[in-house]
Amino acid sequence: MKLLIKIAIILVMITGNVFAQKYLTKNGKISFFSDAPAEKIEAHNNQVNTALDITTGEFVFKVLIKSFEFKNALMQEHFNENYLESGKYPNSTFKGKVTNLSEINFTKNGTYKANVEGDLTIHGVTQKIKQSGFFEVKDGKISANSKFSVALKDYDIKIPNTVISNIAENIEITVNVSLEAIK
Amino acid sequence: MNKWLKILLILIAIGIVAAVLVYKFYINKPHPDFEKLPADFKLKAEVLYNEYVKDKAAAGLKYNGKIIEISGKIAKTESTDTLVVATFVFKQGDFGDEGIRCTMLPKYNVETKQIASGTEVKIKGFCSGFNDTDVIIEKASPVKE
Repeated sequence: MKLLIKIAIILVMITGNVFAQKYLTKNGKISFFSDAPAEKIEAHNNQVNTALDITTGEFVFKVLIKSFEFKNALMQEHFNENYLESGKYPNSTFKGKVTNLSEINFTKNGTYKANVEGDLTIHGVTQKIKQSGFFEVKDGKISANSKFSVALKDYDIKIPNTVISNIAENIEITVNVSLEAIK
Repeated sequence: MNKWLKILLILIAIGIVAAVLVYKFYINKPHPDFEKLPADFKLKAEVLYNEYVKDKAAAGLKYNGKIIEISGKIAKTESTDTLVVATFVFKQGDFGDEGIRCTMLPKYNVETKQIASGTEVKIKGFCSGFNDTDVIIEKASPVKE
């Protein structure tokens, strides 16, 4: 009897791991790229907090603006103080859902197209967005990748006339996160 | 040489020197050496975390963008392909551990990975803020007495 109980506990632990519901990373990567006539600018953030619930499709990203790193220190300063005003709006978030959940098998290795809808908040302004990307499932880990554009004016981000040719109106965002099951 | 031409050449030379200095020390200024900067605040890790949890906005105004030195017991260290993160854990939330995460300067990656859980440490770094789960400290270095 004791042996049966032990086997049952082990089976529950194994199945609990294989079919974990929530996946997380606290060091996801988001980069952005501005391609303007006078200058190309990019920045990277390796502190992205991302959570995915594979049963409900809920998908959340939390990003600290001050964690974006630029090659040029002055540009990083202007980004924080003038454009994104990170003193007033320290975080950017995405809260949404995977809308084609039935087409993704998180328990089977493979690459799956993902459609995501939700609220993207940047600079204190929230917009509803629909984007697509890919989930790669491999040996119990999930990678999520996506590339999309964001119009600065949609988030009330003002660029002074003096640098209008240095910063693009639409910024390319690249998301790359590797999620592991919460134990 | 004509007096006014001399003055003009001197002014142009001064202008060029000024432009070079502005470019070097302002436009192209280097990122701060976070390890050498003195701490704006020194406090226990748990105190810092609790301040953010209690009032995120007030704590943000006080600590975001500042150099913070925190002390406490390391819960664990985590590694990604390029980063090593020392963590202080104070709560279990819906998505796992919550507390303070210190991303170390690369030169301290090897040393940090060897710190045993429960070791009392002092770490100094740049406070990027609170993402509703963790306080994030970056460009972190150990403080050695």
